[in-house]
Amino acid sequence: MVKKEDIGIGVGLLILSIWLFWYVGRYKPKEIYIYGPDFFPRILAVMMCILALGLIINALLGNSLKMGDRIDPKGFGRMLISIGICIGYLFLTTILGFATATFAFLFILMTFLKQRGILIRIFGSMATSVIVWAIFRYFLIIPLPEGWLF
Amino acid sequence: MKMQFDLLFEAFGKVMFHPINFFFVFIGVTAGIIVGALPGLTATMGVALLIPFTFGMDPVQGLLMLLGLFSGGIYGGSISAILIGIPGTPAAAATVLDGHIMGKKGLAGKAIGMATIASFFGGTIGALIMTFCSPQLAKIALKFGPPEFFALAFFGLGIIITVSGKSILKGLISGIFGLMITMIGFDPLSGAPRLTFGSIELLGGITFIPALIGLFGYSQVFQGIEKILTLPSIKSEVKNIIPKLREIKSVFKTMVKSAGIGTFIGAVPGTGCDVAAFVSYGEARRSSKHPEKFGTGILEGVAAPETGNNAATGGAMIPMLTLGVPGDAVTAVLMGALTIHNFQPGPMLFRDHPEMVYPIFAGMILAQFVMLGVGLGGMRFFARIINIDRRVLTPIIFLLCVVGSYVMRFSFFDVGVSLVIGIIAYFMNYYGFPGSPILLALILGPMVEQNLRRSLIISHGDPMIFITRPISAAFIIIGIFVIITSYYRIKKAMEREEQMASVAEKEKID
Repeated sequence: MVKKEDIGIGVGLLILSIWLFWYVGRYKPKEIYIYGPDFFPRILAVMMCILALGLIINALLGNSLKMGDRIDPKGFGRMLISIGICIGYLFLTTILGFATATFAFLFILMTFLKQRGILIRIFGSMATSVIVWAIFRYFLIIPLPEGWLF
Repeated sequence: MKMQFDLLFEAFGKVMFHPINFFFVFIGVTAGIIVGALPGLTATMGVALLIPFTFGMDPVQGLLMLLGLFSGGIYGGSISAILIGIPGTPAAAATVLDGHIMGKKGLAGKAIGMATIASFFGGTIGALIMTFCSPQLAKIALKFGPPEFFALAFFGLGIIITVSGKSILKGLISGIFGLMITMIGFDPLSGAPRLTFGSIELLGGITFIPALIGLFGYSQVFQGIEKILTLPSIKSEVKNIIPKLREIKSVFKTMVKSAGIGTFIGAVPGTGCDVAAFVSYGEARRSSKHPEKFGTGILEGVAAPETGNNAATGGAMIPMLTLGVPGDAVTAVLMGALTIHNFQPGPMLFRDHPEMVYPIFAGMILAQFVMLGVGLGGMRFFARIINIDRRVLTPIIFLLCVVGSYVMRFSFFDVGVSLVIGIIAYFMNYYGFPGSPILLALILGPMVEQNLRRSLIISHGDPMIFITRPISAAFIIIGIFVIITSYYRIKKAMEREEQMASVAEKEKID
């Protein structure tokens, strides 16, 4: 299993390095910059190409390391939904304001992660959003997104 | 410039025995620990934000507060690194490697205790070296040109192998990937935009802090969310906060070496506490009799980087004070503080305003003692954070990652970049690609490229420039030595591990 994954990653990195080598060719060095913008990326592309081939050969020879944990499909789904909640939160901050949107974000996420105590969820979310907002507003004086509310 | 001992003793007396000066150092250190402990808030940001508060203050008191914040901020990063696996500051990234493992084993208190003692030791040594050796150390750094900076970066990248975990090949791939990320944005020499794909936001490149939060913050949060219903809760032990004397003795040699390394690296302009931490960690692992134990949660793995990064605070002050060149980002901001109070950093400061210089020396040393007291005294409070229900803590950490990646440039784009890097790092963890080499590459990448190209331009393309200059040659030879010996040590250690595993399996069957 690990062997296939290492081969797949190696092929992906090989494609990336070939693409990079080709793509940076458009940054043609000017006369006084012989070692122009394409110089170092091309060195890196060559090095990555060699390492990717090494990874593929290593995998084909059966020298891949054993994988430890495996990704849990349900947990992965939970992670994707959490990212979706986060994206919604970012959108909401510009509408509702940082503190209000943060309260909603924390409450929804805690509920989604099955935190059962309703009081803990409410007060935990409220306290965290107020404390973070106050620290940034009054102590660090860093502006946070504002909206209809605060 | 000769040391004026009478002024030094007078400064010590003024700083250490006047309650108001002590108070400002205390405020600075406490604020620094809090700022440093929060991922996304750095010591640099903390110092920059505190400077306006010093306008109306006596310049010495204002500087003492800022120095306290500097020292506390660098130490504070270790608290979140150990408790939640996210370095509070880049300087604590190396502390995660062993510190967080200790936290997971319920030994967060001991790890933070070791980090506090190591930070105190490193910070004090760095401050003492700064005090007595400033002019001499600065003389060596003055000789550094592009070949020396490239060679130093090459040496630093060689450390990648020592922090690569079990697969050197995958560690190198991570490192090269990290270097590729640094290619995005304006080319440092010609100013041409590279790999921006027409995006205005990418013109400035991938900002370091969002990348750091993505690598160590979001990836941890995502793993936490994935496993939240299956992982048993851990109650961190807050007993045995202060490591036993024999434990401190066992890492003392490492701390002394790391203090020297950290101070020297901090004294080189352009490097900083983060490089010092990784180099110290890498050297400790390389020279250890049991390098395979690094990364499994050992005290030495916490002591080395924490000593190194706090020693670098004193080191970074040396070029700032003696040359007017900042040792790192924080000292660059501190220069601004001195300028605001009408003091110009550089050799003239020693000649014309020794009344500013010597209190700085005394203040840095005092800050270490205050940091020791606040760190050890407040540790139980900090260690309790890990006992909070994960279903409450994980969303809060998620929030801190979002806020941390946003506030650098007030940009939702940075939050997006951070999320993407976090997702990549999440998969990397599962497929055996370590994140630490990416971090090291992000720090050293710009230094590598700029100085490589400058050196080749200076030498008209002759690579021998790196060998014919003695300091550069020394770094390259040491770097190659580090790479070769680390490779064989790690290989030997892995073979030993495999042997033990197969023996254990055989015994099981029998």
